Amino acid sequence: MTALWSHPVVQVFWYALLTCIATGFGALPFIFIRSMSSRTIAYANAIAAGLMLGASFGLVVEGSHHSGWATFVGVNLGIVFILATQRALGQHEHDAEFLGVKGIGARRMLLVIVIMTVHSFAEGAAVGVSFGGTAALATAITLAVAIHNIPEGLAITAVMRPQGASILSCFGWSIFSSLPQPIAAVPAFLFVAHFSAALPYGLGFAAGAMIFMVLVELLPEAYSQAWSRTVAATVGLTLLGMVAMQRYL
Amino acid sequence: MWAAIAALVAALGPLLLRKNAGGPTRSMGWAGALASGAMLGVAYPLMTAGLARAGALAIAGGVVGIAGGYITHVVLGVGMSETVVHPMRATATSALHSAPEGIAMGAAMTIAPRFGLFLVATLAVHNVWESAVLASCLNQAGVSRVRAAVYGVATNAPQVLMAIGAYVVAAAVPGSLPVLLGMSFGALVYLCLAELLPDSYRTAGRTSIAVVVSVAAGVVALLGGVA
Repeated sequence: MTALWSHPVVQVFWYALLTCIATGFGALPFIFIRSMSSRTIAYANAIAAGLMLGASFGLVVEGSHHSGWATFVGVNLGIVFILATQRALGQHEHDAEFLGVKGIGARRMLLVIVIMTVHSFAEGAAVGVSFGGTAALATAITLAVAIHNIPEGLAITAVMRPQGASILSCFGWSIFSSLPQPIAAVPAFLFVAHFSAALPYGLGFAAGAMIFMVLVELLPEAYSQAWSRTVAATVGLTLLGMVAMQRYL
Repeated sequence: MWAAIAALVAALGPLLLRKNAGGPTRSMGWAGALASGAMLGVAYPLMTAGLARAGALAIAGGVVGIAGGYITHVVLGVGMSETVVHPMRATATSALHSAPEGIAMGAAMTIAPRFGLFLVATLAVHNVWESAVLASCLNQAGVSRVRAAVYGVATNAPQVLMAIGAYVVAAAVPGSLPVLLGMSFGALVYLCLAELLPDSYRTAGRTSIAVVVSVAAGVVALLGGVA
C-alpha cells in the first residue's frame, strides 16, 4: 500500500488534485461578502500573472538545458493551442440557461467556466511535465499553479455570485474548472518519462500557454480595473519573489 | 560605445509615425510589443545572474528597481491609464527611463560581453519604440519629426552615462554587481509592465500583441541563458 502511495504517477496525481482543490478556496471570501471590488480582483490577477510568468520562465530555462530549439517550438505550440481554443469558444458562444439564470448572465457564467476549464489542461500539463525535471522545479510549478488557481476561483465566483449562485455552487464549479489538471498531469508526466526527448517540447508548450494566458487574459483584465503602475509593481514584486523561490527551493 | 549606438538608434523612432497621423500607430504597438518581450526575456537572466552571486543583495536591488520606477511614475503622474500625455512630461519620463536602462547595459557587459551586446540590441529596439511614442506626443504639440528625432536621441543621453558608470562601479567594487543586476531586473520589468504593454494593448490589440510578446520572450529567454 505504501509502495502505491509513493509511486511517482500517484504522487503526480495527488499534487495536481491539490492544485485543483485550491481553486475552490477562491470562493471562500464570498461567504462573508456578496461582491468584491473590481480593483481587488485586478490585484489578485496581477499576483497570479507574476507567479505564472516566473513559473513559465523557469520552464523555458529548464527546457533549454535539454534543447533550446525544441523548447522554442513547444512555446509556439502552446500559443497556437490557446489561440485555437479561444477561436473555438468564440464560434460556439450563444445564449443559454445556467443555474436557473438566462441570457447574458448565464452566458457570462458559462464563458468564464469554459475558459478556465479549457486552459486548466495546459496548467495540468505543466504540473505533470515539471515532474520530469528536478524536484525543486516540480514543487515550484505545483505551488505556483495552486496559488494561481485561487484568484481563478475568485474570478469565477465574482462572476457567478452576483447572478445569485450559492456559495456551494461557486465552490463546486471553481473546483470543476480545474479538474483537467489532475486528468492532464498524469499522461503529461508519463509521456515525458517515457519519451524524454519530448520534455523540452512539453516544457515549452506549458510555458507558452501560460505566458499567453497571462498576456491575453490576466494583464489586460488587471489594467482595465486598476492603475497600470500599481499593477506593474505588483506583478514585478511577485515575479521577483517567484524567481527567488525557484532559486532557493 | 554600444550604449551610444543604442541611444542613436532612437532617431529611427519618428519614422514609425505616419505623416499627420496625430497619434500612436499600429506599427508602434508592434514595436512596443517586441521590445516588451525582449525586455522581459533579458530581465530574467539578469536576476538569476544576480541571485547566483549574492541572493539577498540581488533581491534588495530588484525591490529598489521596482520601487524606483513606481515612485518616478507617482511623481510624474504616469500610469493612470490616460491616453493623452503632456509633451514635457513625456520627455522627462523618457529621460528618466534611460538611466536604469544604462545601468542594465553596464551590469550585463560586466558579466558577459555577448550577453551585454544582446541586451544593448534589445534596448535599442525599445529606444526606437520609446522615441516613436515621444515623437507622437511632440508631433501633436506641433514639433517636427526631425526635431522629435533629436529629442529622442537626447533623452537617451543618461543611458550612455549610466552604462559607463555602472560598468566602472561593477569593475571597481565587484560586491555591487548583484545589486546592480537586481536593480536592472526590477527597472526593466517595471517599465515593460507599466508602460510598454499597456500602450501596446491600446494600439495593436491584445491577441496580436500577446503573440508577439510570447514569441519574443521565448526567443530571448533561450538566447539570454548566456548569463
